Amino acid sequence: MDILPSIGMGFQTALQPINLFFCFVGVLTGTLVGVLPGLGPVAAMSLLLPTTFHISPVSAIIMLAGIYYGAMYGGSTTSILVNIPGESASVVTCLDGYQMARQGRAGPALGISAFGSFIAGTLATVGLMLAAPPLARMAIKFGGPEYFALILLGLTTVTFLASGPMWKSLLMAALGLFLGCVGMDVKTGLSRFTFGIIELFDGIGLVPVAMGLFGIAEVLLNVEQPEERSVVEGKITNLLPTREDWAASLWPMLRGTALGFFLGILPGGGAVIASFASYAVEKRVSKHPEKFGTGMIEGVAGPEAANNAATGGAFVPLLTLGIPSNAVMALLLGALIIYGVQPGPRLVAEHPQLFWGVVASMYVGNVMLLVLNLPLIGMWVQILKVPYPILFPLILLFCLIGAYSLNNSITEIGIMILFGVLGYFLKKLEYEPAPLILALVLGPMMELSFRQSLAMGDGNLLFFFTRPISAIIMVIAIFFLVLPLIPGVTKNKPAVDL
Amino acid sequence: MNRDQLSSGVFFLSGCLICYSSLPYKLGSLAAPESGLMPFLSGAAICLLAAIGFVTATLRRLKGERWAALLRGRAWQRGLLIVVALLAFVFLLKPLGFLLTTVLFIAFLLRAIVPQKWPLVVVVSVLTATFAYLVFEVWLKAQLPTGPLGI
Repeated sequence: MDILPSIGMGFQTALQPINLFFCFVGVLTGTLVGVLPGLGPVAAMSLLLPTTFHISPVSAIIMLAGIYYGAMYGGSTTSILVNIPGESASVVTCLDGYQMARQGRAGPALGISAFGSFIAGTLATVGLMLAAPPLARMAIKFGGPEYFALILLGLTTVTFLASGPMWKSLLMAALGLFLGCVGMDVKTGLSRFTFGIIELFDGIGLVPVAMGLFGIAEVLLNVEQPEERSVVEGKITNLLPTREDWAASLWPMLRGTALGFFLGILPGGGAVIASFASYAVEKRVSKHPEKFGTGMIEGVAGPEAANNAATGGAFVPLLTLGIPSNAVMALLLGALIIYGVQPGPRLVAEHPQLFWGVVASMYVGNVMLLVLNLPLIGMWVQILKVPYPILFPLILLFCLIGAYSLNNSITEIGIMILFGVLGYFLKKLEYEPAPLILALVLGPMMELSFRQSLAMGDGNLLFFFTRPISAIIMVIAIFFLVLPLIPGVTKNKPAVDL
Repeated sequence: MNRDQLSSGVFFLSGCLICYSSLPYKLGSLAAPESGLMPFLSGAAICLLAAIGFVTATLRRLKGERWAALLRGRAWQRGLLIVVALLAFVFLLKPLGFLLTTVLFIAFLLRAIVPQKWPLVVVVSVLTATFAYLVFEVWLKAQLPTGPLGI
């Protein structure tokens, strides 16, 4: 399929009033959760997922995608004005963004962040549009061994990049794989570990687990020690960056875009690592690296562009291979399956309206975000002033409604509370929950491809190394597994909350 | 004992339990795997990783790393109250209906965790419940439970 007619069809879909509405709701909600510390895109998407069951899959994915890239825009606002990252991908923005705000340059910091996000988001969408179809065509040739190897690679890189010791994140992935086994066996139909609970026959729901681990647990941790927020006072002016600001920011933005897009494609990459990497690159290429952390606009432009570009990149493996590269994409994968759309190499061919509609909606959404964010800065500042003790009951209520309305079942709420308490202790004990979510989603697919491969190879485990593509991917996966054993490798690894 | 020794110990036992519970589903052979194989392997992986964790934590313990309290200096009672409120929501939802349960739930959290003034508690809880009812029940037709008054 040629790109131009396809993207034309995509715009036809994205510009339908209903899809424009859901795109708007998505980016607005995304910005809101980005602005609010303690509520990330995973929690927000899990909250809103049940409400999308009544709308078309295209509108639903457009909205959910909007939440993701919208959150990247919103996260910078809190970093710049409060020095608290609204979103983990905006941690680095605090370093120079807040210093700029303290020097009375909050306006240019917010402005360059919005423009950088827009430019990067748009360029990343172009990258997604160009990279996805050929990759999907190649992936059609993939069989069980290749899929197993890819999933293994995804899990090992995520566990390698997660914060803390690797044994902990691998353990979380193993727990997630086990939880993914709960429910009906995909091959035999045998019910496993369900204890007669009907709601578990289709497996443990991704939404209550994600809401528990990322929503409830986060609230339980936050109320223990509510952070002090001091929002930068005074009127925010000069949102449009000056010529000098542009000159200093343009190359960091472009470098951040390229870096972010490629890191976004990699399993486990994503927005957080992209923003850290971009900051490191900018510091390295700068003529004044010692000034980073004192209010350098390059330290805002690069990372903000990188985290937005990474969101576009993250869609590539999801939409072409059906393999999510991070927890947000895992949730989107779950959503697609709920809507009856099988993500993978055939998605572009079988559901062109969905694929191209979502791609086109990203262009539209990025424009909406730019138009929305600059005039609405004042409103976000007011929202940031709402005290957490008033905010958290509302977050909990949305979690409860979201979990209940999945199947109109109290059991789902119970599962969410259980995982909320589990998530609280996991965080306290420094276990990263993202690999668990990823493995929970990938578990059934991994089990199926593993059993298919074993049957194909007559039980020979070396069969994975007899096919070129799966062999290469397996070698890379094993490389990530053994990498932490090399002395010094993990010492320099940034602590990243995926 | 330090934190990682305790948590890896718990995970090791959990892994053993998973392995044991997988056996009734039959493991099959590598050439013809059955339903129990994948959960068994997951359980075995949990055991192995927990054992690695326990060994590294023990080595750190020998170097002097001690137990660091999880909850000391933290207002953990607030979290406990929230969990109680969530469980109460679960038990009251069907008999009282969504609207009334939500008003009580929000009001309780606003008063019990970081006490807010009564007028604010009443306004926020009633407005939130009404807004949520209108959005989820009336607009999105989420079929939330109704109480004695039919709402």
